[in-house]
Amino acid sequence: MAYPSMGEAHRRITDYLNKFCDAVSYQDVASLAQLFSFSSNSPSLLSLADALNFFQDANRLIKQSDKFSQFGEILAPLFRSLQSYRLGNLVEAYHAFEKFANAFIQEFRNWESAWALEALYVIAYEIRVLAERADRELSSNGKSPEKLKGAGSFLMKVFGVLALGTVHLCRSVIRSIETARIFDFEEFPRRDKVTYMYYTGRLEVFNENFPAADHKLSYALTHCNPLREANIRMILKYLIPVKLSLGILPKTCLLEKYNLLEYNDVVKALKRGDLRLLRHALQEHEDQFLRSGVYLVLEKLELQVYQRLVKKIYFIQKQKDPSKAHQLKLEVIVKALKWLEMDMDLDEVECIMTILIYKNLVKGYFAHKSKVVVLSKQDPFPKLNGKPVNS
Amino acid sequence: AVEDIDWDALTVRGTCQEIEKRYLRLTSAPDPSTVRPEEILEKALLMVQNSQKNYLYKCDQLKSIRQDLIVQRTRNHLTVKHNFTANQVYEAHARFALEVGDLPEYNQCQSQLKILYAEGIKGCHMEFAAYNLLCVIMHSNNNRDLLSSMSRLSAEAKKDQAVQHALAVRAAVTSGNYVLFFRLYKTAPNLNSCLMDLYVEKMRYKAVSCMSRSYRPQVPVSYIAQVLGFSNGVLTNEGSDEKESDGLEDCVDWLKAHGACLVVDSNGEMQLDAKASSSTIYMPDPEDAVAHGDSSLAVNDFLTRTS
Repeated sequence: MAYPSMGEAHRRITDYLNKFCDAVSYQDVASLAQLFSFSSNSPSLLSLADALNFFQDANRLIKQSDKFSQFGEILAPLFRSLQSYRLGNLVEAYHAFEKFANAFIQEFRNWESAWALEALYVIAYEIRVLAERADRELSSNGKSPEKLKGAGSFLMKVFGVLALGTVHLCRSVIRSIETARIFDFEEFPRRDKVTYMYYTGRLEVFNENFPAADHKLSYALTHCNPLREANIRMILKYLIPVKLSLGILPKTCLLEKYNLLEYNDVVKALKRGDLRLLRHALQEHEDQFLRSGVYLVLEKLELQVYQRLVKKIYFIQKQKDPSKAHQLKLEVIVKALKWLEMDMDLDEVECIMTILIYKNLVKGYFAHKSKVVVLSKQDPFPKLNGKPVNS
Repeated sequence: AVEDIDWDALTVRGTCQEIEKRYLRLTSAPDPSTVRPEEILEKALLMVQNSQKNYLYKCDQLKSIRQDLIVQRTRNHLTVKHNFTANQVYEAHARFALEVGDLPEYNQCQSQLKILYAEGIKGCHMEFAAYNLLCVIMHSNNNRDLLSSMSRLSAEAKKDQAVQHALAVRAAVTSGNYVLFFRLYKTAPNLNSCLMDLYVEKMRYKAVSCMSRSYRPQVPVSYIAQVLGFSNGVLTNEGSDEKESDGLEDCVDWLKAHGACLVVDSNGEMQLDAKASSSTIYMPDPEDAVAHGDSSLAVNDFLTRTS
């Protein structure tokens, strides 16, 4: 490590400070981003680090001038981080870099436009690399490696960090993005918008907010480059269960085109009112549906399948005797289910009927004494029409 | 908890021969003469399991056994000779805790068991996999937790009877199928019913809400008592008349406490007036509501703390 002279160190530091301030004034994101790409190990950054370690009191320099001190909160931790980085103290380097990154994003929010977005990308990259290296240092000292998880909380402030699997923590990110006055969503590159809507749409699926999930995933689908078939497939994988929950069924050719045939039997079951087929489909692809997180959504389609079955029974009865069609005997429904190899007794089927009525999938009431479902004469099986089942 | 202290530097070999020993929390290196070796701890566990004394006594004794184990680092050491593992201690304590509804203690033991099972010391891991699943269902509204618990079950676990019961309970809760839920309650293996107890009130309320909106004009209270698990007897010749009427009385009390409208019909039978009840039923505030330790893990609290 070649230490510079005091004067040389002073010069290097003030040079850097000027570069930083100029980059901000001229909104020169390329120059700005270079100033904190530690992982590039550029000679200028390394020689700055040496200067800082030698000079020791860079804070004084920052405070000396108004031009520099306005960015004090950002620059001081950045310098500390660079110093530690140069000395090989990765854990210290990470901590300081995290402080720098948080301070930077505060400042970013105050700027009129998202001109510094590229710089933010670079910071996100650098923080991750530093976190990984810090974790390695921790592991080799027998401590638990948790810096990468910490880096996640910064990354969440920029986008959703679903890659780290911390789905439920995304809410704070989304909140800050959606309420920040300078984040005009439309200003972001299209690719980012699609990604953002895809991930937030998936979150809505987890929380079973189907109208919101539909809106976001549909946006992602319509704005996604049609040539990117793999991406379209990813979006559809989540959009299809959402649409099914809203009573909208995909065509088989769509499932075939994007290789989503695991949903084929589910769609068939809904069309036919075949509960056995739905249960079979869920079992056959259980691992896949559990991993992707759509299992519970698909399972809830059971009620719509029951609705379809009861509707069919109603139509058959109507043909035989229209005057009595609006009264469905419980034992007839039990028989139909037995025919589908669903062995359920009167009490259980009665329970299902009450749930269907409660959730407005069947309009009417249940007469316990006579064990009959009395259907409303008007629209006894309301369609969902893009609205989710009442919870 | 005892398990959180770093005992690495404090490993001792115990010499104490007392089978019964009260729990005294250690914060520094213990005197070996106060720590019991494994053979004594095995006897101590047996003593606790056969004891007629109350839960507080058993809990205290078990905490003491756990501490002696940890201090001697025998947690990871399988003694084939004695067929005694730390598993048994945690499993025993967890079961006692479940029986009395001491969830914080149960959760502590369950955390340790997860670690032990992962290290290959199997014990009754299926029984506890079922409890774990039921806990997730009963306690969190979080679909993600539920999905990850379900996807982590091995193929072997899914064939286990207790786990299958827990999965069936899960399906019943998710779909609001109260008939199935209370049937499963009656046939619950091991201590699955203790965990289901946590959801009984909620399930009953959901069921009666549903019934009030869907039935017209009335539902016999005897039917409600039967499907919502108030009557202990099943429709066998085993059930005495006394048991049946107890169940009916409990059901009436419960319905009244929740604002239901009851009428007596021309045959003298109690009926639920469905239409009237639909606007009057409510969930009363629990009188002895105590903040559950785990509520600090609620996502919203977490978010406000980190922002």
